[in-house]
Amino acid sequence: MPVLFLILGTLFGLALSRSGAADYNFIQGMFLFTNLQLYGIIGAAVVFTAPGLWLIKRHGRSLTGARISVTPKPLHRGNLVGGVLFGIGWAITGMCPGPILVNIGEGKLYALAALAGGLAGAGLFGSLYPLLQRPLRLPPLEAGTGDG
Amino acid sequence: MPPLILHNLPPIHWALAGAMISAVTLVLLYVGNRRLGISTGFEDACALVLRVPYFRRSELADRWRFWFLGGLVLGGALSAVAGGDWSPTWALGMFDTVIGWGPAGKLAWMFAGGAFIGFGTRLAGGCTSGHGIFGLSNFELPSIISTVSFMAAGVVTTNVIYRVLFAA
Repeated sequence: MPVLFLILGTLFGLALSRSGAADYNFIQGMFLFTNLQLYGIIGAAVVFTAPGLWLIKRHGRSLTGARISVTPKPLHRGNLVGGVLFGIGWAITGMCPGPILVNIGEGKLYALAALAGGLAGAGLFGSLYPLLQRPLRLPPLEAGTGDG
Repeated sequence: MPPLILHNLPPIHWALAGAMISAVTLVLLYVGNRRLGISTGFEDACALVLRVPYFRRSELADRWRFWFLGGLVLGGALSAVAGGDWSPTWALGMFDTVIGWGPAGKLAWMFAGGAFIGFGTRLAGGCTSGHGIFGLSNFELPSIISTVSFMAAGVVTTNVIYRVLFAA
């Protein structure tokens, strides 16, 4: 399985790199509405994925016969507050988490700082979880905010 | 369509990129039995060094994401090689032409933005992949809320940066 994950990650990285999804200008253009490429990419990905996902869930088994259970993400105030914070970061850097790694692979040196920031931010969040849990109605610690 | 920052290459068609992303997502689920989601990789990495309870959750024991994330780096490198050559660069497109900070400024800018990404995605329970692609395709309410939130915040932030703070 590790080889499968590596190959799928590589294909994903190639698609992000060559489409503009890991390109600073394309991300700013999306948020300025001067370049609509990213809306097309995300929209097409959802339109193609939704029926396939429905079929796989209905089938209920993976290729190897294992039971497939898609765990829906929990609903909490973090969905909104965290989404807003992430959107600010996406606009500042021109990268979401996947493209940070793609940009590092491409040789864009500043992406290393975005990765360091991402790890620091996630580390801070995990450390503050017990404090944030009550005001943001987050799930029990063992469940986490959502695996994704 | 403008060229990419990477070697000034022309971008592939959006529908092709969407189809590739979708194919990876569906094969990952059907063959790998994993739900697409990249930002939890930040937690996988934190779990290696931080001993706080949140990073000792049992779901982080599965390390499949390290392979997938390694593939993302490899994909970016292959893309650069296939498009001409691989060479380290500081090129940052319109940031260079409009804001124009040097390497040290870019590192600080990117670290600050990255901190928002790491904190925000983990608080939201997902990013563009887990919420935006998988969650929306699965019609999950938390993903709809998060996607609308991060798109709206991105629109506001970029407009503040390029049409207010650094307006040409």
